[in-house]
Amino acid sequence: MSTRGLDTVRHWPLHILLGIMVIITVYPLLWVLTVAFSGQQGLAIVQTPQDPSVLDRLRAITPWPEHVTWSNFTAVFADQPFARWLGNSLVVASATTLLGVFLACTAAYAFSRFRFPGRRAGMMSFLVAQMFPGTLMLIPLYIIIVKWLGLGSSWLALILVYSTTSIPFCVWMLKGYFDTIPKELEESALMDGASVQTVFMKIILPLAKPAIAITALFSFMTGWNEFILGATFMNKESMYTAPVGLRFFVAGFSQQWGFFAAGAIVTAIPVLVLFLVLQKYLVSGLTAGAVKG
Amino acid sequence: MSTPVRRHALIGLAVAGLVGVLAAWLLLGAGRRATTGFRAEREAVVSARALAELVARAGAQGDQVRQAVTRFTAGDQSIRSARVIIFEGLSLEASTFPEDVGDKAAPRRLAKEEKPLFDQGQRLRAAAETNREDQASMKEEIEVTPMADGSLQVAAPLSRDGAVVGFLQLIAAPPAVVAQAAPWWPALLAFIVPIALFALATTVLPERRLALSVAGLVLLMAGLLGFARVGSSTLAGDRGAAENAVASHATAVGTRAATLAGELNLAGQPFDPSAWDVTVFSKPYGVFSPTGQVDSAKLEAATVSTVASWRSLFWLLGGISGLLLLFFSTGLAARLWSILVTNRGAYFYVSPAMVGMLLLVFFPFFYGIALSFTGSTIYNTDKSIPQIWVGLKNYTEIISDVKVAQHSAGGWAINYQNFYWTLWVTVAWTISNVAIGVTVGLILALILNIKGLRFRPIYRVLLILPWAVPNYITALIWKGMFHQQFGVVNQVLQMVGMDPVSWFEKPFTSFLACLATNGWLSFPFMMVISLGALQSIPADLYEAARVDGASRWRQFTSITLPSLKPALVPAVILSVVWTFNMFNIIYLVSAGEPAHSTEILITQAYKLAFEQYRYGYAAAYSTVIFGILLLYGTWQNRVTKATEGI
Repeated sequence: MSTRGLDTVRHWPLHILLGIMVIITVYPLLWVLTVAFSGQQGLAIVQTPQDPSVLDRLRAITPWPEHVTWSNFTAVFADQPFARWLGNSLVVASATTLLGVFLACTAAYAFSRFRFPGRRAGMMSFLVAQMFPGTLMLIPLYIIIVKWLGLGSSWLALILVYSTTSIPFCVWMLKGYFDTIPKELEESALMDGASVQTVFMKIILPLAKPAIAITALFSFMTGWNEFILGATFMNKESMYTAPVGLRFFVAGFSQQWGFFAAGAIVTAIPVLVLFLVLQKYLVSGLTAGAVKG
Repeated sequence: MSTPVRRHALIGLAVAGLVGVLAAWLLLGAGRRATTGFRAEREAVVSARALAELVARAGAQGDQVRQAVTRFTAGDQSIRSARVIIFEGLSLEASTFPEDVGDKAAPRRLAKEEKPLFDQGQRLRAAAETNREDQASMKEEIEVTPMADGSLQVAAPLSRDGAVVGFLQLIAAPPAVVAQAAPWWPALLAFIVPIALFALATTVLPERRLALSVAGLVLLMAGLLGFARVGSSTLAGDRGAAENAVASHATAVGTRAATLAGELNLAGQPFDPSAWDVTVFSKPYGVFSPTGQVDSAKLEAATVSTVASWRSLFWLLGGISGLLLLFFSTGLAARLWSILVTNRGAYFYVSPAMVGMLLLVFFPFFYGIALSFTGSTIYNTDKSIPQIWVGLKNYTEIISDVKVAQHSAGGWAINYQNFYWTLWVTVAWTISNVAIGVTVGLILALILNIKGLRFRPIYRVLLILPWAVPNYITALIWKGMFHQQFGVVNQVLQMVGMDPVSWFEKPFTSFLACLATNGWLSFPFMMVISLGALQSIPADLYEAARVDGASRWRQFTSITLPSLKPALVPAVILSVVWTFNMFNIIYLVSAGEPAHSTEILITQAYKLAFEQYRYGYAAAYSTVIFGILLLYGTWQNRVTKATEGI
């Protein structure tokens, strides 16, 4: 089916199908851009007249604002605490990345290189932990973090929770990568009198840079995109993370769609770019991590 | 003494004894402090209620009230200050608070920054009225707040003619009686005597682990029990003293109130001090009579309840320290220690992640399971699990409620809060989403795999975009697009001559809206996975098939599909679990509207916990979800053997 050659004329039905799919795919994104650049807070792209004709309707769904203006972007940063929320997200996601990668690297190294009692049980428990439903964890975590430790509405709460919940996935991914690094390298270093610590720091970590980069990206995206835990733990408006804040714009009776759209674009662009650049690795990591164990 | 068997047994006894006795000693100290605090709280409540009654008799407003408050607080060392707030006109009617002087002196209107005071009053009024209407004591109608300096702030509602007209705030001075520390010498004896006896016993006992363990266990328990007796009688004595103190405090307050009422010419029945001694839910303790006579039977019951809770904790402690002793004396500890030492490198590396996982993943998990057997709500998070244990009640409530639909006059009405309805929605949601994802993803992948198709890379990048957008943003975008009045979806419908749809007012359309959102964001994953698998199929397979004269369809079913299987099956498994737990889409797009009909299990569990605050019930609900996923996982595992070779 793939060797039909350059018979492009026969492909036009496929192009139509793909075109429709692309419109469906891209339209919501264009819509957000339109709302963001409209300078309005409403959902409507244009005001439709009382008795609209088909053309008026067509204008109403064309993703192009009546006036193009940056005012929503400037307002969301200047008048709304969005910069603060973005900062919260940045701090939480960065710290989560650092802590998560540290925890995952050390554990994955041990699982990959040492044979010790409890190894298999430990790895299996990490695997099972991924099946724990979020809400079952959420109530006890809420009680522990907010009621017992008094860490409600603090960066530390989210950092701790995010980095530990991302451990299992990261460990499995890194362990798989460590396994592919030949053992001979370390053995010769150990023969030359290097300590395990030196081997880990000087040989394994530099060799595993690509995998660590992916793990870091994954941890960062976990912290950057997470919504439920953020919404549950962060009760103070000044401590909202970006996802919680974006929802705040359009939740309940609040209908600030312009702020939401502008904020969403600012929040999503970094992860969107990172994702598109690195998606190949993410896919292989996902399937390897989930399937091979 | 030097043989390892004896050494292990002795270390075990020492460690278990130390842990057991120390913990018991600390518990006893905490128990004594709790009794003192309990007494202070009750005395403060008695004072506040006495003053409230006095104020009510004085008409709740006017000079008489100010007189009563000032004179009542002045003559009592245990009261620092008090104030009366009346809802009508938001007035501070009387106050002896140091800050309410000069131009802030009572009577005056409450200032704007005193809103918390007003809120507290409204809370108390609501609680008192609810309790009265429901004929129950469910809500705190007296608020006792410990202050930083050790004093207590008591707030009690002020009733007049059966209605709550205001409230009273009273600051009680820190209690004059400080809790005594738990006696240290019985603890020391309980620790040392068993060890000394054990050292003697080892000279005659055979060098067997069993014999030594049993001997150690017996001595340990004897020591602990000895200390438990001391503890019980100490606590019982404390509680008895506290009850007597409260009774005499109440009688004294009653006498003073009566004198004051006489001086102010306030008419009314004689005061009943025993009615002032109530819990924060306004339930009388009833330990003493109106004349201040302590009822010995009631006192007995009170002390028994104090000692009983101490005893149950003590049994737990005994069990733990017994296990600890066995852990050492059977040599398990020594073996574990040697394993740890031999593999210290590995454990050193695993421990940070493992500690994190234990504290913030596994402990919460098991704690959540434990909570599912309790009646935990937001009102009793300070209670321990055994105190609110309800057994399997939550589970039977969830599982056995099969009344999904009810027949009424207007036809069948579905109970959308029912577990089985939500389960059905969840299953329908999962299956339809995965079906859409796989179909659309596979078709697109097959098209994009055609060599010679123009603009392939561009199509690929554009079609992958939904995956890259954070899903909460996707959800909110679609929620906006499905808006009944301004959403573009309805504009399109109207353009082709259809009526606009109120998407979130009917279960079916609401479900469709969520489905569209999730379909949009989930097909790229399947597409990318399928595309990767398609590209790894060697072209010669098709060549060979064509040479053999196989039709297009035949090639598809016997080459393409089988080659896709190893990649698609795990992807489907993954997306089933993801979709089953796809919280964000349902929560943000439909929010369960209308009337929880489009809720899936996971969002329903969240709402049970964080909107209805039924933690225990929600935990049971979540455990059931986990059980379903576990069943699905094992079944899937059997079918596909996907996790083979871990």
